[in-house]
Amino acid sequence: MVELVQRLRKAGAGAGLSNEAFHKLSALLTMLILVFVFAFGNDAFFSVNNGLTILLQTSVIGLLGIGLTMVIITGGIDLSVGSVLALSGTVTGLAVKAGVPVVPGMFLGILVGAACGVVNGLIITKMRITPFVATLGMMLMARGLALQLTGAAPISQLGKAFGVLGNGSLFRMVEMQENGFPKVIFPGIPYPAILLIVVAIAAAYLLRRRALGRHIYATGSNEEAARLSGVVVDRTKIMAYAMSGALAGLAGIVLMSRLITAQPNEGVMAELDAIAAAVIGGASLMGGVGTISGTMIGAFIIGILRNGLNMAGVSSFIQQIIIGAVVILAVYVDQLRSKR
Amino acid sequence: MTSSPTHPTPLVEMTDIEKHFGGVRAVNGVSLDLNPGEVVGVLGHNGAGKSCLMRILSGAMIPNGGMIKVNGRPVTISSPHDARKLGIETIYQTLALADHLDAPANLFLGRELKTRFGNLDEKRMLDEARKVLRRLNPNFHNLGDAVSSLSGGQRQVIAIARAIYFDVKILIMDEPTAALGPSETAMVADLIKRLSAEGIGIFLVSHDMHDVFALCDRVMVMNKGVNVGSHRIDEVTKDDVLSLIIKGALPDDWTPRNLEVAL
Ligand SMILES: Nc1ncnc2c1ncn2[C@@H]1O[C@H](COP(=O)(O)OP(=O)(O)O)[C@@H](O)[C@H]1O
Ligand SMILES: [Mg+2]
Repeated sequence: MVELVQRLRKAGAGAGLSNEAFHKLSALLTMLILVFVFAFGNDAFFSVNNGLTILLQTSVIGLLGIGLTMVIITGGIDLSVGSVLALSGTVTGLAVKAGVPVVPGMFLGILVGAACGVVNGLIITKMRITPFVATLGMMLMARGLALQLTGAAPISQLGKAFGVLGNGSLFRMVEMQENGFPKVIFPGIPYPAILLIVVAIAAAYLLRRRALGRHIYATGSNEEAARLSGVVVDRTKIMAYAMSGALAGLAGIVLMSRLITAQPNEGVMAELDAIAAAVIGGASLMGGVGTISGTMIGAFIIGILRNGLNMAGVSSFIQQIIIGAVVILAVYVDQLRSKR
Repeated sequence: MTSSPTHPTPLVEMTDIEKHFGGVRAVNGVSLDLNPGEVVGVLGHNGAGKSCLMRILSGAMIPNGGMIKVNGRPVTISSPHDARKLGIETIYQTLALADHLDAPANLFLGRELKTRFGNLDEKRMLDEARKVLRRLNPNFHNLGDAVSSLSGGQRQVIAIARAIYFDVKILIMDEPTAALGPSETAMVADLIKRLSAEGIGIFLVSHDMHDVFALCDRVMVMNKGVNVGSHRIDEVTKDDVLSLIIKGALPDDWTPRNLEVAL
């Protein structure tokens, strides 16, 4: 195994592939193998409908994963995204319940998420608390606040408009049949999937084409060097955590909209799926390394794994074991490839 | 000595600079100045406080006391950004490169060139980087590689290029040739001569006596955080300087070298 990876790596280098491209390629290959295996085992897996289901399920992990990627590239970690997701979703739910129109209510939720991220960033940069501890604290505080605000009860009957973002889709085609029943010709592309693609492109643009993105990489690569080069390291980090928080808020709104219920208990352990997606996609917890496209592949690997295992009737306990093993394997392969 | 008729105002005047780490007095009341076009060697053992003094001037370290004037005006340098605005550029002993980024990204880190829309202007940064790096090392080809994969010499060349590319008036070089081969070292020596001829003031921290005597107009020797001697290069010998470095004092029978010659 070790030898195989190293031999492949050498072949990759010979073909002019960078480490990053090699990792992405191997992740992509893993994803295709998964699709192939699951499709072979179950005809229903390889259908338009199931493809869209996977897209939908991956959108939440994907949104969280994009935020985490930015934080991980700075050399940090954000354990609070699962709880912030719940807090933002419930704040939106409460606001809508109180009569705020859906769109401003949703913006409020994203704002709450961003605010949590800014607080994370301030605790890390100004109080000099490590990201692990700071965001662990925020994980507890945001969850506690969500439970306190709602009395731990879900908020339902939020109205039809609240469910559009999570359940609607673009280009949905329905035809009335002669017998009076509608027939779905094309189920449409779910809004959450479109949102994920838009956010992914925006994040990749930010990381690759803007100075802030460059500073995010520099900060994670060598914080002292970044500082000496005139990069305002603190502000860069705060921005990364703010974006992670805002995306957690967005993910929360998408999820609660899909359920048409604001659930203060949603998103428990979602941060772990998101971290796994980033790491499988090649982000290094040491900082300085990571891409949005890699994280998207990572998110889809997790989404496909869960979906395929579900369809194969594998219990959620076994799924956890498998995903845990996949994460360790991904990091191990990553270490092998970057060994000099 | 600092106010000779050709140099009415020194570029830099550091007065009674202090830096403590707990009980350690890394810099203990050091005063030092620098005139336009002058190369001042900063010498001393490892741990003498040279890097600390230089880092204070470049904004990487905040002093506990003392005053800094640039062009005769008192200044507060509280970040590397402040220093750069005053035209102070630094080649750090640690090089201060972001390992995962390539040479152009490191060269322009913190001062990226941008297009009209505020996007990174990668093409212009690559072109400019190629120009300035090739001037220092004609064999510099792998501009797209992460700098972690480059040789020590190439990395040092990037750090040097970054300090001279922008509008430098005061250049701090903290052991700039430590990782360089002979030809690159010669290139840096030429560069120092050229820059000082342009009126740029240079602090050169170095252990290489040959370089120091070939390039510097003046030397300042530090010992345990204290300035133990500041001399024109033509009034001391290598042995005098070594005595300052090792003992913290000139040889007992010392007289200025140029006086000796005159006698
Ligand atoms: N960041 C720091 N924290 C604590 N002590 C330091 C720090 N930087 C330097 N020192 C101490 O200050 C003294 C001077 O160091 P330095 O200026 O690096 O010496 P030099 O460059 O002359 O070799 C040394 O004793 C060193 O251990
Ligand atoms: Mg030093």
